Amino acid sequence: MASQTSHALLRRTERYRDVLSENWFAYLLILPVLLFLVLLMWVPFVQGIYMSLHNWPFGGDPSWVGLGNYEYLFGWQPFITSLKATLIFASTTLFQLGVALAAALAVREIRRGKSLVTGSFLLSYTLPPLVTGTIWAYMLEPDLGPVFGYLTQWELLEETIYWGSHGDSALAVILFVTTWTFWPFMFLIISASLESIPEEMYETARMYGANRVQTFLRVTLPQLKSAILIALSIRIIWNMTKISQVLQLTNGGPGYETSILAVLLYRFSYEQGQMGISYAVGVVLLTMTIGFVFVFIREFERASGGDAA
Amino acid sequence: MSLADYDAVGVTLKASTYGVVWFLVLLNLVPLLFILSVSFMPPTEFFGAPHIVPYEPTLEAWTSGFAELKDNLVNSFLIGTGTALLALAITIPGAYAFARKEFYGKKLGFYAIILAMMFPYILLVIPIMGLWNDLGLYNTIPGMILAYQVFVAPFAIWILRDFFETLPKDIEEAAQVYGCTQFSAFVRVILPLAAPGIVAVGFLAFLTGWNDFLFANLLTTGTGPVPAVPVLYGTIGGGSGERVYWGKLMAETLIIGTPPTVLYLVARNYLENAFTV
Repeated sequence: MASQTSHALLRRTERYRDVLSENWFAYLLILPVLLFLVLLMWVPFVQGIYMSLHNWPFGGDPSWVGLGNYEYLFGWQPFITSLKATLIFASTTLFQLGVALAAALAVREIRRGKSLVTGSFLLSYTLPPLVTGTIWAYMLEPDLGPVFGYLTQWELLEETIYWGSHGDSALAVILFVTTWTFWPFMFLIISASLESIPEEMYETARMYGANRVQTFLRVTLPQLKSAILIALSIRIIWNMTKISQVLQLTNGGPGYETSILAVLLYRFSYEQGQMGISYAVGVVLLTMTIGFVFVFIREFERASGGDAA
Repeated sequence: MSLADYDAVGVTLKASTYGVVWFLVLLNLVPLLFILSVSFMPPTEFFGAPHIVPYEPTLEAWTSGFAELKDNLVNSFLIGTGTALLALAITIPGAYAFARKEFYGKKLGFYAIILAMMFPYILLVIPIMGLWNDLGLYNTIPGMILAYQVFVAPFAIWILRDFFETLPKDIEEAAQVYGCTQFSAFVRVILPLAAPGIVAVGFLAFLTGWNDFLFANLLTTGTGPVPAVPVLYGTIGGGSGERVYWGKLMAETLIIGTPPTVLYLVARNYLENAFTV
C-alpha cells in the first residue's frame, strides 16, 4: 500500500519535472509577475480576512473576536446608512455608461476636429481624481464658487444651496463629480470597439431596408456587447473603491450620509486605527461588488441577448 | 416613410450629435477656464462676486504654490517613473511568454493575473500597511513603487500580450536565421515592434503612480517622502470654517495636473490602439 502511493507520487513528480524541463524558459518569464501578484495580492488578502476576525488596533496587540466585528457592523445604524449610500453611489456606473455611449456614437458622426474633441473629453480622466475633486469643491462652493455665484446672480436660484449639509444633495454632488471624472474610460473602450465595426455591416443593413433604430439595435449594439461588458465590470469594481473625491468634497458627511463603504473602511483604519473592523467593512464591500458585477452582467446579457440573435 | 420626415429625423440626429459633443466639451473645459482664472486672482477678488477675467492678475498663487509643492513634485516624479520602469521590467517578459510560448497552465496563469484587475484594491492597503511596516518599506518611495505594481501589472499584461500576439508568428525564427540568438531576436525585433504598447503601458503606470491618493496617503506619514497629491487633501478643511485660499489651491491643482495631461497628449496615439478590446 505504502509503496504503491510512493510509486504514484514518484510518477507524478517525474511528470512535473518533464513539464518543467520542457517549458522552464516560459515559466522563468512569467515568474516575476506571478510572484508580485502573490506577494502583493493574495498574501495581504488572506491576512486581511484573518485580521477581520480580530480586534486589531494599528501597531497594537490583536485579540480574537470571531465574527464579532461583523455582528457589530450590522447592528450599527451608520453602517446601514453607509450601505444605502453605497447602493445609490453604485448607479454612477450606469450614468457613466450612458454618457460614454452617447459620446462615442456622437463622435463617430462628426467630421472635423475629432481628435480635438476626444482630447478634451479625456482631460477629466488624466487629471488626478483628488485634483478634480478639489476643482469641483471650488466650483460648487456655496458662497464663493462660480456655479452658485452665477446661478444666484442671474436669479435662476433665489439663494445658494448648502448642499454639504443634507445627505441627499451631498450624495447627488458626489454622483455628479464621480460620473464627470470617470466616464472617459468607458468612452475609450466603447469607441475603440465602435471604430472596428466593418462598414459593410451597415451597408448590408441599409440594403435590407433597416432604419436607424433597427441598425443600432441589431448591428451596432451586438457588436459593442463585449466591449460594454468589459468596461462595465471594470468600472463597477473601480468606482466602488474611489474615495479621494468623496473625502475632499464631503469627508463622508454630513454624519455618515455619504460614507460609502470604501470611505467607511478608510475612516475606521486611518482615523481610528481599528484595522480589524475596517477589514470587515472591506469584506462586505467585496461581497457587494461581486454581487453587482454578477447582476449587471446577467441583466445585460438578458437585455441584449434576445435582439442579438 | 416619406422623404420629408426622413430628413427631419436626419436633422434631429445631426443636431443632437453636435449638441452632445459641445455639451461634453464645454463641461470639461469651462471648469478648467474658471480655475485658471481664479489662480491669477488676488484673495480680495475671489472672495467677491464671480467674474472670469481677473481685474488685477497676480502670479502670487503660482509662486507660493510651487514653493510649497517643490519637494512633493520630485517625490511624485520618482514614484511615477519607478512604477513605470518596474512594471515594464516584470510584465514585458510575462506578456511575451503568454503571447508567444506554449506551456502547461498558460490559460490558468493568464486568467489568474487578469482577475487581479477585478480586485478592489482598497482591500489590500490595510494588510500592506502592516506588512510594509514590518519590512521597513513603510513611508519609503520604493515601498510605494512596489505597492503600485498590484494594480499596474494585470493591466500591463493584458495590453502587452495583445500587442505581442498581433506580431507575425515566424518573425523570431526569421531573425534567428539571420544569426540572432533567441534573446537578441527579442531585443532587436520584437521590442521595437511592440513599442506602441510599451509606451502605452509606461504612460498608464506613470499615471497611476502620479495620480493615486489612497496608497500615497496611507503608506506615508507626512514625515517621510510625501507625493504631491495627498498634499491637496485636507486643504479644504471639511467645513471647519477656515478660510480657504482658493487662488493658491487652484494654482496647485493645475501644477499637479499638468504633467499627466502633457504626457497624455504626447502618448495619445499609442493609447488609442491599446484600448481595442
